[in-house]
Amino acid sequence: MTKILLIDDEPDILRVLSRSLRADGYEISTAASGTEGLSEFEHTPAEVVITDIKMPGMDGIEVLKRVKTMNADTEVIIITGHGDIDKAIEALQYGASDFINKPVRDEALSIALKRAGEKIDIRRRLKEYTQNLEGKIETATRELRRRTNFLSKLVRSSYEGIVATDEHLRIVVFNPGAERIFGHIQEEVLNSRSLSEILPEELTALFERAMNAEKAFKELPWREAAIRSKSGESIPVMFSGTILVEGSNKLGTVAFFQDLREIKKLQHELVHSERLAAIGQTVAGLAHGIKNILHGLKGGSYLVDVGIAKKNNEKLRKGWDMVKRAIERTSDLVMDLLSYSKERQAQYEPCAPNAIAAEVCDLVRGRAEQEHTELVCEFDPTIGQVLMDPHTLHTVLLNLLSNAMDACLFDQDTGKRWQVKVRTAAEPDRKLRFEVSDNGTGMSDEVKQKLFTSFYSTKGQRGTGLGMLVTHKLVEEHGGRIEVQTTFGQGTTVSVWLPYRTENQAA
Amino acid sequence: MGKKVLVVDDDPDVRLFNTTVVEENGYLPLEAENGEEGLQMIKSEKPDLVILDVLMPRQSGIRLYRELKTNASLRDVKILILSGIAKKTFLRSQQALTEFGENQVPEPEFYLEKPVDADVLAATIKKALG
Repeated sequence: MTKILLIDDEPDILRVLSRSLRADGYEISTAASGTEGLSEFEHTPAEVVITDIKMPGMDGIEVLKRVKTMNADTEVIIITGHGDIDKAIEALQYGASDFINKPVRDEALSIALKRAGEKIDIRRRLKEYTQNLEGKIETATRELRRRTNFLSKLVRSSYEGIVATDEHLRIVVFNPGAERIFGHIQEEVLNSRSLSEILPEELTALFERAMNAEKAFKELPWREAAIRSKSGESIPVMFSGTILVEGSNKLGTVAFFQDLREIKKLQHELVHSERLAAIGQTVAGLAHGIKNILHGLKGGSYLVDVGIAKKNNEKLRKGWDMVKRAIERTSDLVMDLLSYSKERQAQYEPCAPNAIAAEVCDLVRGRAEQEHTELVCEFDPTIGQVLMDPHTLHTVLLNLLSNAMDACLFDQDTGKRWQVKVRTAAEPDRKLRFEVSDNGTGMSDEVKQKLFTSFYSTKGQRGTGLGMLVTHKLVEEHGGRIEVQTTFGQGTTVSVWLPYRTENQAA
Repeated sequence: MGKKVLVVDDDPDVRLFNTTVVEENGYLPLEAENGEEGLQMIKSEKPDLVILDVLMPRQSGIRLYRELKTNASLRDVKILILSGIAKKTFLRSQQALTEFGENQVPEPEFYLEKPVDADVLAATIKKALG
């Protein structure tokens, strides 16, 4: 029920108006002067004040001002007499909601009250709405804070290293995972260092390119990389990056790092233990190889005995050759076994790969002529002096070249003109490709599958069954890779990629 | 000249050793360098004894032995297995093939493991042909 305070110095008007308003359902209090009205208002605040404008002592304008000061939301309706129109306008300027003329007609009063009621209603709804909005903003802010906390905790507790930057690549997030990998603490880099100060050039360049690119490519996919920690240690990592974009604006970058040290260590141990296991498990294969060699020795010495007893020089010579071959085989087997079982790090030395390839070709040229196999060398003249392991290159090429010659020697298709080709080629990313191809027997699927299996040989007693295994191991130890393409009856191409270093990155 | 002895081995040194022992003991040596060639010569030359290696390209001794022992007309050819493979391993691989549904084959009568001394080889050949 709306509360109305009626103020008029004429008791008759107070009586008549209050009666009619009560009848309309309003709660009415009355006052006979401005001063009385204000103290009543202070005591029980009304929502609507209806006041005569002309009163002795405090007039209606003054009442209006004071009421508005006490509660600006109160609606004040001014009752004006004839000739008070200037005052009425002044009242409106002071915030009166309406004025009605004397004599007060019920109809005019109810319209004025209705308007005042609507205003009150609107104001209340506005207030409710505002309060509601404030509440909503507070809730949203709380939720936002909660989520921000959650996200920052997430970033902090992630085991991955997370480094985020602003659009100028200045570091703004550096989580404990990143501290572990880079060795810097957050305080050393936050807001003071640039990404280029902690990342190698090529990774920083990726981000710079992504930030400057017209068309935003947002993701830098996972790749292996190495970063240098504060202490100077080179640390293998998996790395990926994202450009943070809002609309068409690039806000900054995030980089993620996974520490691969542990994994690399485990991989290394695994390879090592697999190699030991392979050796252990194939002792039987090794024993078989040795038994065959011993058989050859016994055979050789038997033939020598027969030759001596019968003074038969041919038997003597054949027996002695057999003994010598057995010694050769023993030596091959032991050398292969040693280089297979021994863990070795590539020894980078200045060398000319083309010269090494030529040297290896010279070693087999005599054999090639005997066996009517043409030896072709195609060396890339742009390859000069580099840093790589000459021993690795020499052994690998010699193994592959002897295999290629054997593939021609064992080929039963005598219509062929056998050819073995050795090629060298400079490749991007500081890599050299060495290719040895032949048009000999090629490999069946079975042989191809067992190519890198220990003690597997297609050369009968001539092979140790370790050659390709040793080759593979040397290539891996040099950080390279090997690929075999072969077609049964048509030939084989083995490609080896070996990385090299240049003088200025010798360290 | 007496009986024919076929030496089947992929290693030329082993063939030379074995054929010399055969010859020195008064038999006629024949040579084949893999299982396929061996089977052809057994059919064409009808040797009295085959000295058979196990691990060879182009049909292993395991296959050739099986083929001889399951062929009615070749079953009686005498066989001496001479291999770097232990007899136990040879028998196990034959047994595995039997378990895969192939015919049962008898154990080889004569089995020598490389390396073998010339006099042991000669004695075994004599015994087999005796």
